[in-house]
Amino acid sequence: MIKTVQYNIVCENKPGVLHRVTNILLKRKINIETLTAFPIDNRAISTINFTSNIDEKKIENIAKQIKKIIEVIEVSFVVIN
Amino acid sequence: MKISGARAVIQSLINEKVDVVFGYPGGANMPIYDALYDYQDKIRHILVRHEQGAVHAAEGYARVSGKVGVCLATSGPGATNLVTGIADAMMDSVPLVCITGQVATSLIGTDAFQETDVIGITTPITKWNYQITSASEIPDVFVKAFYVSKTGRPGPVVIDIAKNAQFEEIDFYYPENFSLEKYKNVNKFTKEEINKAAEIINQSEKPLIIAGHGVIISGGQNELEKLAKKASLPTAVTLHGLSILPVDHSLYVGMVGMHGDYSVNKLTNESDLIIAIGMRFDDRVTSALSKYAPEAKIIHIDIDEAEIGKNLKPTVSLTGDARSILVELIPLIKENNHKEWFAEFERLKKVEEDVQKKREKKFKDKITADKVFKILSEKTQGKAIIVADVGQNQMFAAKYYKYKIFNSFITSGGLGTMGYALPASIGVKVAIPDSLVIASCGDGGFQMTIQELGTIMQEKLPIKILIFNNSYLGMVRQWQDLFFNKRYSSTYLKNPDFLKIAEGYGIKSKRVSELSQLNMSLDEFLESKDSFLLEVVIEKEHNVFPMIPVGAGVDEVMLE
Repeated sequence: MIKTVQYNIVCENKPGVLHRVTNILLKRKINIETLTAFPIDNRAISTINFTSNIDEKKIENIAKQIKKIIEVIEVSFVVIN
Repeated sequence: MKISGARAVIQSLINEKVDVVFGYPGGANMPIYDALYDYQDKIRHILVRHEQGAVHAAEGYARVSGKVGVCLATSGPGATNLVTGIADAMMDSVPLVCITGQVATSLIGTDAFQETDVIGITTPITKWNYQITSASEIPDVFVKAFYVSKTGRPGPVVIDIAKNAQFEEIDFYYPENFSLEKYKNVNKFTKEEINKAAEIINQSEKPLIIAGHGVIISGGQNELEKLAKKASLPTAVTLHGLSILPVDHSLYVGMVGMHGDYSVNKLTNESDLIIAIGMRFDDRVTSALSKYAPEAKIIHIDIDEAEIGKNLKPTVSLTGDARSILVELIPLIKENNHKEWFAEFERLKKVEEDVQKKREKKFKDKITADKVFKILSEKTQGKAIIVADVGQNQMFAAKYYKYKIFNSFITSGGLGTMGYALPASIGVKVAIPDSLVIASCGDGGFQMTIQELGTIMQEKLPIKILIFNNSYLGMVRQWQDLFFNKRYSSTYLKNPDFLKIAEGYGIKSKRVSELSQLNMSLDEFLESKDSFLLEVVIEKEHNVFPMIPVGAGVDEVMLE
């Protein structure tokens, strides 16, 4: 079953983090529907939020894969519908 | 005192206790090579013949030394030639630091000569990568690279260094006691989870351990044996778990997977408990997931949280270092006896042996790869390090060599990289020079990295090279035989004269094509003090069995 999921990522504000996130999606042929990213905490930290339509079996694993990125500090997700 | 970025690179390697680097010089890493010239007494550089050779050699080195493997390549094609090996290391959890030169920062993005987007290319196949554009970044990036590559689940890291950063001068200071918050506690398992796992193990009547590469990486072989002994648990291994226990160990039942043992595959689906330790339920292990171990509870132990539940939902999961988890688990395990369950393995082992004997009769006058490994096992008492290539030869090596020493089977498992064995054996031999190292290849894979004979010659490495020549890409031909109506599309190989090639590299060699000569030839091969290439002309159409066809369940394993 395909679900719309919003992932919220807190990460170091460094080049290449978003590239690693999108690679995880691209490898699984997942499209990004919405995306925002902005720095917080005196620009040292960044938040990346995106929504995608994902097979429910893969939702949690994708969060875990994102969490493995060295610069990623926290990942959470919300199933929207 | 100020030193150049290139010297800072070498100094960083020395701080990380690196004493061997596999590499190839070129325009964009020349300052590093120039600095290396002054440190020849501290760092042995092994000049390969192609960068793919460097990265596989570094993998082989890392797999048997427990250290991080290091390779060095130039920008552009030098870097892209590393890609296969980096992907291989990522799949097989091998700690590598791969250093690539890059064009000067002012030229990056201009499509300069030998410029390529190494960071972009290697992002999906590395644990971490970083482009250094200023020499001041070197110490911090190197300490992080080595830490990341070997901590948690190991893997490859790429450091891309712009040429200007190699020339710039810095005050060198190497950080000490580096760590990342992320890896401060890899042992995320809880006491409740340990208790639950112990309870399930204690209640199980038909348990089966499947031990993988994670047990070797964590050094948990003794704890594995203790656990298995205490509760009398049949212990199987994955391809990368081979040689965790000697094959004649009373608790060892065999290998799982597509070409694993008949008994283990059959009984996986009768088992009431799979204790998976440092393995990831990959498709070659489980075959059709929907038909896998339907009766079994699953205890999954792995250091990588993303592996838990990825393919199979466990009853209990324990995230952390395999050895640490086993240490916690063992005191809670009750002594047990699974005599009847062990007898089932024995019974099915006999079934496989009987079919195997029939097949042997059919090929009784021919040389086949299984015979070669059986004889080799006897002659070496199972004490050689077998570096196996990919394909039929790999499965014969896995199945028929009788591994007696820990971590003595080195191969490309996840990526299945043909051409792995010859260069990987270089790294293995460099790391453990006193061991008998056999690179075991098919005629196809051998020709994919054949140029590394030059490295073996130059470094005078007494590696034993075994080529199984059946003039076919054997595994593909086997699939064509079984699943494509024997339509042998593009699998026939017209091979060169391997002995003349060996001669050109100054490597002793011999060809054996008669069964009556096999014993003697293997003696000569093993007794040689120098490197030796033995070409074994084997039966052309000989298949590897057992085999689980794609889409079938593990219990649908075919014996012939």
